[in-house]
Amino acid sequence: MSLSFAKGGSSRSEGRLLSWLLLPVALIALGPVVRLLLEGVGFGSGLTGAYVVDVMSQNSTRRALMHSLVTAAGGTILSVLIGGAFAFLVALTNVRARGALVFCLMVPMMIPPQITALAWMQVTGPSSVLLKMIGLAPPLGSPQPLHSPGGIILLLGIQHASIVFLTLRAGLRQIPADLVEAARMSGARGLRVWAQIVMPLTLPALGAGAAIAFVTALGNFGILAMLGIPARYSTLPTLIYQRLVGFGPSVLSEVAVLALLIGLVAIAGVLLARWLLARKSHGLVGLSGQPLSISLGRARLPVEIALWAFIAAILALPLMALLFTSLIPAYGVSLTWANMTFDAWVEALFRQPMTRRAYVNSIGLALGASAILMAVCLPLAWLMARRPSRATRTIDALVDLPYALPGVVLSIACILAFLDLPFTDMTLYGTIWIILLAYLARFLVVMLRPVQASVGQLDPAMEEAASAAGARLGRRLRTIVLPLAAPAAAAGAILVFLTAVNELTVSALLWSSGTETLGVVIFNLEDSGETVMASALAMSIVLLIVCLMAGVQLLARRLPKGVVPWQS
Amino acid sequence: MAELIYSGLAKQFDGSARPALDGIDARIESGEFVALLGPSGCGKTTLLRLTAGFEEPTRGEIRMGDRQVAGPGHFVPPEDRGVGIVFQSYALWPHMSVAGNVSYPLEVRGLARAERARRVEEALALTGLSEFADRAPAQLSGGQRQRVALARCLVAEPRAVLLDEPLANLDLALRASMQENFTAFHRRTGATMLYVTHDQGEALALASRVAVMEGGRIRQFAAPEVLYSEPVDCFVAGFVGDGAVVSARAAGPLGGRGLEVEAMGLRISARGHEALPTHLCIRPEDVNLTDEGGLRARVRGCTYLGGRFRVVLDAAGEDLVAYSRVRLEAGAQVGLRIDRPWAFREPGASALPAQVMANA
Repeated sequence: MSLSFAKGGSSRSEGRLLSWLLLPVALIALGPVVRLLLEGVGFGSGLTGAYVVDVMSQNSTRRALMHSLVTAAGGTILSVLIGGAFAFLVALTNVRARGALVFCLMVPMMIPPQITALAWMQVTGPSSVLLKMIGLAPPLGSPQPLHSPGGIILLLGIQHASIVFLTLRAGLRQIPADLVEAARMSGARGLRVWAQIVMPLTLPALGAGAAIAFVTALGNFGILAMLGIPARYSTLPTLIYQRLVGFGPSVLSEVAVLALLIGLVAIAGVLLARWLLARKSHGLVGLSGQPLSISLGRARLPVEIALWAFIAAILALPLMALLFTSLIPAYGVSLTWANMTFDAWVEALFRQPMTRRAYVNSIGLALGASAILMAVCLPLAWLMARRPSRATRTIDALVDLPYALPGVVLSIACILAFLDLPFTDMTLYGTIWIILLAYLARFLVVMLRPVQASVGQLDPAMEEAASAAGARLGRRLRTIVLPLAAPAAAAGAILVFLTAVNELTVSALLWSSGTETLGVVIFNLEDSGETVMASALAMSIVLLIVCLMAGVQLLARRLPKGVVPWQS
Repeated sequence: MAELIYSGLAKQFDGSARPALDGIDARIESGEFVALLGPSGCGKTTLLRLTAGFEEPTRGEIRMGDRQVAGPGHFVPPEDRGVGIVFQSYALWPHMSVAGNVSYPLEVRGLARAERARRVEEALALTGLSEFADRAPAQLSGGQRQRVALARCLVAEPRAVLLDEPLANLDLALRASMQENFTAFHRRTGATMLYVTHDQGEALALASRVAVMEGGRIRQFAAPEVLYSEPVDCFVAGFVGDGAVVSARAAGPLGGRGLEVEAMGLRISARGHEALPTHLCIRPEDVNLTDEGGLRARVRGCTYLGGRFRVVLDAAGEDLVAYSRVRLEAGAQVGLRIDRPWAFREPGASALPAQVMANA
């Protein structure tokens, strides 16, 4: 017998040691948001409530709030129309090549908004290479039609259609086929089944999807800034951005109130979505059956053509326009075989120190954030699943907040929290570390949820068997939990990388010279008229994203359900 | 191998009103094969998990050999207890091969590679898995997975082997052959084995002693044949084996071979150790279908068991079970005699001798 009896409770103390992990997680993920809330009630300024009244009474605030609500609501309606139509057709009917359709509908969501805006601006307007090639370009000097509330609504609607699609499809999958079969046995057919059975059952899911799309649209800085700022159409995120860029940290208290304002609207939307989703599961639980499949009959081919044509319009068209613009020698010139050049690509990727720096910064930040979050989320997910406590449950409930809140809100919160580090004279503002911390807070949930799903599916007996075999907690985590949760962690890491590498909203407020990110550089290049180079840079990023998405797609079969956002 | 000693062991889970275990006192000898038998929720799995160290007891102590592994202020975690466990789900690690699964406990203990390979080979040969060493668990059948779990648990030469309903996920035919496997295995290794099951057939067939549990307590801890022929209370009498439990009272003094009791309006000579029994446990073997018995009964149902019929009888308002060589039609009248059933006293029930009742 080669077994030794060590001092009792050693694995328990390891577990307790692990619980200390909750502290930095709570501080980084939730600290800034709490700090922002305190700022709103006058903490640190001594002027309780005065800022609130002051800021709220300004005309610019009310106008920006109005504009924000109008564009977000308009975009949401459009998203519901597009996403709803796709969800019903893809989830309920027998159209072919659903996987490819879904993947293509998801690409606009994964492409960063500033690139979407840039690409669409290359489709329309007097300088559009695409329109010039077919001779339809409006005369020089005519306005860019997308620089308008309508343009903002159009792009927000397209960008967030996939959110509505995913939520609605998840809801549709919960409808048992026998409900529809029962309706058919009662004599109902086609549209009647859809209108009287399917539609009422999916309304909560549709509502929840709309609420999430609304919240996302509210904080979509990329589109609001690229289209709104040239049109002098200010919304809350752009108002915050312009104030802070114009006046620096001195207006921090003022913009904090603006951030709280938009945060409150967003939280209302998030709560509405949660409430609607909680209602959805009511009454249908446990009835999962065959998924629905309604035959379209002879209408199938026309429907398929329509769906793919739509995909071409929202995905291929703008990307083609972006590609063409990136290949012309100078902005305003039309593209021909003779003058096609990769100069802008070479310039953007290899020559310009700023773009090279941005690539290094963004990839470094994205890699750093994914690596740190992967290291944190595995033990965190384990703690939440195996040693639940009030602390883990609180973190579980609130960890969505930094991701759900508009990026500008989180940025302001981070500036407030890290401008003056407690007990030191140091500041993180203006360094790359503040961006990293903001990314950690924002993307924690992107990493945590897949790992949580994976750890939650692990039979606890797997670990108990290892424990009985003599393995202590650290070894169990390393040799049993880690390998089994690794595919989910890898998918989570790729998702974090994808989102972080393109991120503009957070870094737009946190960057300074030397710490530019890719999102910021594209925005600045376009702002300073370097559209061709911006297009080349944007195109290179789109290629990177599609490759990474394809990588996740290949991993998808080995992952637990719900890990890959565009599959369910 | 080591004996397992439980004294005053209790476990109360947070937020549950009733204790899961309520004062367990038992001693399992070194090398014994003990089954924990009981309906679901009786606490048998909790007792197993406390033994393994996955749960901490609320009160009482557990000793393995001369070492206390759980007691007031003292708790040895599972990784230091040196017990092996086979789970109902087998809990094989899907990312390791069969050989990887089996060698894991040895790697954790830091054994040299050559020694590890030798012992893994030995364990695989013992369970008949040598040719599957490089397979992934997902490629094995249910019975093979079961054997991998067993090999993994044995390779580290545990002080005790705990089995948590190991046959529950196997089909009927496989169960029978795995039962033989377990018996052969126990004979070969001489390991102390603790086997949790809700299937009395399994428990009675495999174990040298069976602890029947109910409501967080051990009702009776005895050899299978003793449980069957001499149950201590109504629960054990009803849970283990077939037959009927009817109320009875003493009608004579307790002698060396038992006593006379009165039940169903008859005087019956019964076996027993109690002067004032309250119930009779009447097994089918105790019921003789004969016209000389003096008790008449109506046939309520008859099912064929293979070689004989199981007959449910209504005798003076009580349901009795008997075996018959011939089919009896429902509703038919038969005579019967009851031969030396087991008389016992249900704890907590009040018992008075028949004479006292008659004189009152």
